[in-house]
Amino acid sequence: MAGLAPPTAATAAAAATALPVPPKKIEDEKVDYLNLPCPIPYEEIHREAFMSLKPELFEGMRFDFTKGLNQKFSLSHSVFMGPIEIPNQSTETVKIPTATYEFGANYIDPKLMLFGRILTDGRLNARVKCDLSDNLTLKANAQLTNEPHMSHGMVNFDYKGRDFRTQFQLGNGALFGASYIQSVSPNLSLGGEVFWAGQHRKSGIGYAARYNTDKMVATGQVASTGMVALSYVQKVSEKVSLASDFTYNYMSRDVISSLGYDYILRQCRLRGKIDSNGCVAAFLEERLNMGVNFILSAEIDHRKKDYKFGFGLTVGE
Amino acid sequence: MASRGNKRPSITNGDDNLGVLSRVSRSVSDSQIVRRAKSTASDAAFVTQKLLRSTGKAAWIAGTTFLILVVPLIIEMDREQQFNELEMQQASLLGTPATAAPK
Repeated sequence: MAGLAPPTAATAAAAATALPVPPKKIEDEKVDYLNLPCPIPYEEIHREAFMSLKPELFEGMRFDFTKGLNQKFSLSHSVFMGPIEIPNQSTETVKIPTATYEFGANYIDPKLMLFGRILTDGRLNARVKCDLSDNLTLKANAQLTNEPHMSHGMVNFDYKGRDFRTQFQLGNGALFGASYIQSVSPNLSLGGEVFWAGQHRKSGIGYAARYNTDKMVATGQVASTGMVALSYVQKVSEKVSLASDFTYNYMSRDVISSLGYDYILRQCRLRGKIDSNGCVAAFLEERLNMGVNFILSAEIDHRKKDYKFGFGLTVGE
Repeated sequence: MASRGNKRPSITNGDDNLGVLSRVSRSVSDSQIVRRAKSTASDAAFVTQKLLRSTGKAAWIAGTTFLILVVPLIIEMDREQQFNELEMQQASLLGTPATAAPK
């Protein structure tokens, strides 16, 4: 009996180990929950919708020139001329004509990226992105102006796990923030954030969800500041995607929703959108030659009678 | 011309000695039905004017929206199609291996 017992125990153990394996294997074939893809960073959760619906619309003329000095170092010059809107309380918009020149220096290396921009009106913008290790990334952003209390600085630490990402944010004015996003299934990821701004004595919490397949992306975000943002992007084909978004602010009771298209053709990229305020915008980037892009931007607001048209040229990339 | 010349003094003379024609016209213009017709006509004109103006505004908005959103799209898609056709022609002229080789 004693001689027989071990084999039965062994077979039982073998059966016990063998039994749970098959269902696990079936589960693995369905969804491998231990091997989920890494989600998108929390702050970029609306990336696709933003890309389609929020092009860099401008009014006036701009010229951007980038010259690479060597593999890693490049200089950029850009000139902008045109009216700039001044925010004010009254409903009518006030525009003042401006002309600025911006000089920039970029250093791009897979491990370290440095960007610096200086404008003729004295504003300086510096960004650093540095990979401290394979998973930990340091990002820093500073904006310096000659006006008092308008300079900002911010440091972010991003940690990228196998199926999650987390970020810690430190900024001037006692701003602290943290966010976490986790893949729950191969398509769905859920995340949350907390922030505390000591200078303004505000704090908040937010949640987000993102569902993406290779044909569509749907995201939703809620924050305790009263903001609700939903977006949906449908990829109709490889070249065409349609996007829509909806934003509601509970505190100020603003609702805005917009609908847009994004066409990526061989020679150009065209983005158009219309929103619930009656504002129509289109942005065309046409590739004239290798490294020469022509930009046309149009935005018309029928309600405010505000029409903005711009053109530009981007040379070098 | 002559009849108008005769009537004009009759109007200025006062109500007592009105001409037959003016009396008839006054009774017609004072009648209920004519007054209602007049008010209806003026209302209709007002509504039509408003309607025309709002239609014009709507057409203007629709037209400018179309110009911004759709016209560039049509032009770019047309260009893309021409580009594709040109490539197809070149491929058929040079033969398939020639197009396969550069890729």
